[in-house]
Amino acid sequence: MSWSWSETALVVVVLVGLALWLGWVTASRLDRLHRKVVASRHALQAQLDRRGRVSVDLASAGLLDPASAVLLADAALAALDVPDRTADPRPSEAFSLRGLPPERERAESALSMTLRSVLEDPDEVAELRVTEVGDDLLGDLYSAWYRAQLARRFHNEAVAQARRARRPRVVRWLRLAGRAPLPRTVELDDQMPAGLERA
Amino acid sequence: MRPLRVGIVCPYSFDAPGGVQFHVRDLAEALRAGGHEVSVLAPADEDTEVPDVVTPAGRAVPVRYNGSVARLAFGPRAAARVRRWIDAGRFDVLHLHEPMTPSLSMLALWVADGPVVATFHTSQVRSRALQIAHPLLRQSLEKISARIAVSEDARRTLIDHLGGDAVVVPNGVYVDHFDVPPAPRWQGTPAAPTVAFLGRLDEPRKGLQVLAAAAPRILAEVPGTRFLVAGRGDEGRAEAEAALGEHASSFEWLGGVSDADKATLLASADLYVAPQTGGESFGIVLVEAMSAGTGVVASDLGAFRRVLDDGTAGRLFRTGDAEDLAATVLAALADPAGTEERRERARRFVRTFDWSEVTERVLAVYEMALAASEALGDGAVHEDLLAGRPPWLLGRGPRTRGGVDR
Repeated sequence: MSWSWSETALVVVVLVGLALWLGWVTASRLDRLHRKVVASRHALQAQLDRRGRVSVDLASAGLLDPASAVLLADAALAALDVPDRTADPRPSEAFSLRGLPPERERAESALSMTLRSVLEDPDEVAELRVTEVGDDLLGDLYSAWYRAQLARRFHNEAVAQARRARRPRVVRWLRLAGRAPLPRTVELDDQMPAGLERA
Repeated sequence: MRPLRVGIVCPYSFDAPGGVQFHVRDLAEALRAGGHEVSVLAPADEDTEVPDVVTPAGRAVPVRYNGSVARLAFGPRAAARVRRWIDAGRFDVLHLHEPMTPSLSMLALWVADGPVVATFHTSQVRSRALQIAHPLLRQSLEKISARIAVSEDARRTLIDHLGGDAVVVPNGVYVDHFDVPPAPRWQGTPAAPTVAFLGRLDEPRKGLQVLAAAAPRILAEVPGTRFLVAGRGDEGRAEAEAALGEHASSFEWLGGVSDADKATLLASADLYVAPQTGGESFGIVLVEAMSAGTGVVASDLGAFRRVLDDGTAGRLFRTGDAEDLAATVLAALADPAGTEERRERARRFVRTFDWSEVTERVLAVYEMALAASEALGDGAVHEDLLAGRPPWLLGRGPRTRGGVDR
């Protein structure tokens, strides 16, 4: 059987239309997922910043022994001082999908470790809580830390979804994700000291 | 934290209340007590008495799904109601319960966009229907900004079946509601201790038959033991009585009990036995028994082990093993000091499940979902205009503006 010119044209038009529509649907799905990745990374970063600031306050409140205070301040400042995105000078930094810089992850993990050794003993933590200042600071620290744990889980979840959506070969060949870099999870040690979790 | 407008969707009907409905009701109350504005959308007949936070979303239809009969709401009319409720509510956060159950929560997830939190309750077996529908649901699932599982077991199920992760926030209990005076009729004596059981009698996985098989051995050592059995299900009762034979007189059948009677029963009995054989993702009754100050003997399911703080707040026996259950109950009765010590630990541990604590954790999750959407300048919950779906599936109901529709 042979197709007339107009039949062929019709089929081609329909196929092209279908392809365009599918492409549009996929692209908007990817866009939504990318926005989710960026948004959840902002939420995470805000809580990590807060945890760092509370740690500095805790170190300078005169509630800890001087050695602990110096170690804690050092770790907290190191985490806060990591420039936001050394590797990426472009103005689109705010919309970057690549998680946190590795040096930030290392610094945050180190801060977690320092806080764990400073707040290791539940009895000492209980004593810190006796003073009003101590109670406020530890309450704040717990709150920021818990939220950072939540935010990191939600962020990594979003990253996993976005990566899954970008895996199909068609998506890669047709560059439906545009020039967006592949999203990266945030990997850091955020285990809380046992004494900080409220009994 | 500023007061939030929270919209909660419950997939199961308030006509036949169960665990999820109670959870939703209590969460709504706790959030309200914290100064937040809450609206709950749930299936319920117009003439069903519902807590006043609940907006009835019309009749639920009993349907067979995934092996049991549930009362669910679906179809274009339900979708239209969900859409109107979301439109009128102008919520900051939408909190969906069991969004993978084909009912209102699934519809809400399909219709809405914005800060969406979802709680997964069950550790239900994998449904083939869900797998088939997965490509359709995937895009909906991706809209969830924060996922909560009520227990480590529910979280595992979620990871295995849907992929991805969730944070664990336990079910809540009003611990102080169980601090009631005991009733002499249910209190035991050293010669005649009382052992309580709660749960549907004719549902095999609740384990009544395991208790019935263990009873003769317990009675051989402590002949005066009284078994107080609360729950409905005549077939289960008949089966247990047949198995018990001459020992049947030691079982007292209390039938269905009210919330108040349940608290009194737990506060009075010497021991509460939870012989469930599986399918439990949390174990709320254990927490209630611990709140009431009863000694707990439970099967060593993962969920129960965790609720009992790895067995330090109660005693565990091998799941389904009547011999071991009898031995454990006898050990508990013979060692009041050890039981008291566990009770004391339980009283402290159970605070983790108090609504005051649980609500804080839920609010922290809301806060993170909001923070993420605010970071991009996406506002509150709104209708999802991008989702590709034909308009006729949303029902025809009048589209209203300005939240006047009720």
